[in-house]
Parts: sequence; C-alpha cells; structure tokens
Amino acid sequence: MDRPRTLALLLAFDEAACVGQTVREVKAALPDADVLVVDDGSADGTAQEALAAGALVARHPINLGVSAAESTGLAYAARRGYGAVVRMDGDGQHDPAFAGALLDAVREGADLAVGTRFGEVRSFESTALRRVGNGFLSAVVSALCRQKLTDPTSGFRAFSPRGAAFFAGVQPHDYPEPESLLMAHRQGFRIREVPVRMRPRTTGRSSLTAGRSAYYMVKTSLALTLELLRAR
Amino acid sequence: MSRSSWIVVAAAVAFAAVILFSARSRRTHERHILGWLGVCAAIAALAIWRHGIDVLASAMGIYYPPSALFFLCCAALLVMVYRLSIGLAQEREKVRKLAQEIALLNVSRPEPKDGA
Repeated sequence: MDRPRTLALLLAFDEAACVGQTVREVKAALPDADVLVVDDGSADGTAQEALAAGALVARHPINLGVSAAESTGLAYAARRGYGAVVRMDGDGQHDPAFAGALLDAVREGADLAVGTRFGEVRSFESTALRRVGNGFLSAVVSALCRQKLTDPTSGFRAFSPRGAAFFAGVQPHDYPEPESLLMAHRQGFRIREVPVRMRPRTTGRSSLTAGRSAYYMVKTSLALTLELLRAR
Repeated sequence: MSRSSWIVVAAAVAFAAVILFSARSRRTHERHILGWLGVCAAIAALAIWRHGIDVLASAMGIYYPPSALFFLCCAALLVMVYRLSIGLAQEREKVRKLAQEIALLNVSRPEPKDGA
C-alpha cells in the first residue's frame, strides 16, 4: 500500500454487549482502516467480542483509565507508522459515519480534529447540568487556546502522526479531553472542530454521574491551571 | 539516667534492631533505613539529654517545650507522608507503563477469513 494506513481506535471497558456491533459499524464506515480495540482491563468478554467482529485487540492486564487506553492505542499507531488515527468510544456513542470527516480534517493539515456535538448536526440532548458544565469548560478552554472550542469533553477525535506520537508519550490523568486540548495548543498543534453526531448509549453506564460532575469541573480546572504552569 | 530514660532508649534500640533486621531480609530500601535509623537516634538522644527539648524550644522561641516536640514530630511526619505520596505516584506511573507495554506486545489479531 502506498498511502499511509488509517487506524480506527476504539476504547472499551466492560462493553461486551455492544463492542462487536460498534466494530462492525466502524469497519463498514471505514473499509480501508485497521480497527484496534483497546480493552482497558474488562472483566467481561469485551476482547473476545471485538476479536470475533474482526478488530485487532490490545488488552490492558489491569484497568488503567480512558487516558491510558487512548495513549496505548496512539503508541500502537505511532510505532506502526499509521497516517492518521480516529478515536471513538467502544459503546457506539460516537457515530462512525462522521469518522471520515474527522480524518479529512487531519489530512487537510490538522494535528488534532475534535468532533463537536454543537455543530450543525443534531445530537441527543444531554442533561441541563452537563450542558452548563460543558459551557463553562468550553469558555475556559477556548480562552486558553485562543480558538473557539465548543465541545472540550468530546472524545471523538482524530490525530495526525505528530499528534499521535505526542499523546502516546505524554498524557493527562483520568479524564483527558479538555486538558489535552490545551496541551495540543501549547505544542503549536493545529486543532480543528468538526461537527459530528453523538448517540445516547444503548448499554452500560456513563462513567460521569451527576454527583461526580462537580468534582470533575473542579479537577479539570485545576488540571488546566497546572498545565499552564508546566514547561512545554 | 532515670527509669523513663532507660525505657525510651531501650525502645529506640529495639526499633533500630527491627529496622536492621528488615534491611537484612531486604524488606526495606537502604535510603529509607538511614532515615529511620536517624529517627531512632533522635529519640534516644532526647531521652538521654533530658533538657535537650527545653534548649530546642527556647532556640525556636517556643514557651512550652512539649509544643516544640509536637511541632517537630508533625513536621517530620508531614515530610515523610509527602515523600510517600510522591513515591506512590511514581510507582503508579511505572505500573501503567508496564501494563501498556504488555498490551502492545500482545495485540491479538482476528482469524483470517477464508479466501482472504
């Protein structure tokens, strides 16, 4: 193959019920891409389901969190010389029909393309509390990055080889999304937002309950402040 | 030396012995052993030199000498706990890297389909 290959990276933790379906959808939407599922130490049959659906599977022997799962997948892409990586959730919340648009943004020169729910494409409505939280984070991250970023918590993203190599090595803790935007900005990466559709989850549970949201806001604000104080 | 001094000195010596035994069986690291032996030495020194804490307190400008002792103990504990939390974060980072490397070394591939 002449053209550098594309990697579709799915992160899954205890998603046996839906990961197979997600892999099949992604393979249908991106027939030329390799699909890698990073199984973050699931106790159910997530890895087997993903493998049966035709994905490559990297299994964490223990649960390490979203951020580590993402960096494992990006390290795989960086070491194997993939031309672009699109990251999605294994539970099918990220509509694979929009993965191509994110990859196009990377091919047009972005190092990090972020799928936003608040573009011209209608997504499902999340709770009012989350919308307020997202608005706050969006305002903070946009100001710090000097660029309008409407959906800083979106995990539906595509990376250039440069972006993948950077985030394979350095990563924020726990929930990485807003902080990684600021890190990308400070690296001088080109960030682009692409309108995508996100669907309500069909199975499993959100890792962010209402009670944790407030804690998440405080922690993320602290993480953003600390990132500003770090050497690049 | 009073009886209480003897008791405290004996306790310090016993603690030092425990530390050295655990070091012999490699259950503690040398750099931690030195710190702990230092703690034993400080306890024994204060037991033998009974007015040491009064001298320390007046040097620190503290009127009530036991307060100086509390302050020094708290400060030492704070430093030790802080060092432990740093060490824990470092270990966590190493475990994460190891687990990721294991995942990358064992990537499973789907069975090739017939005719593929």
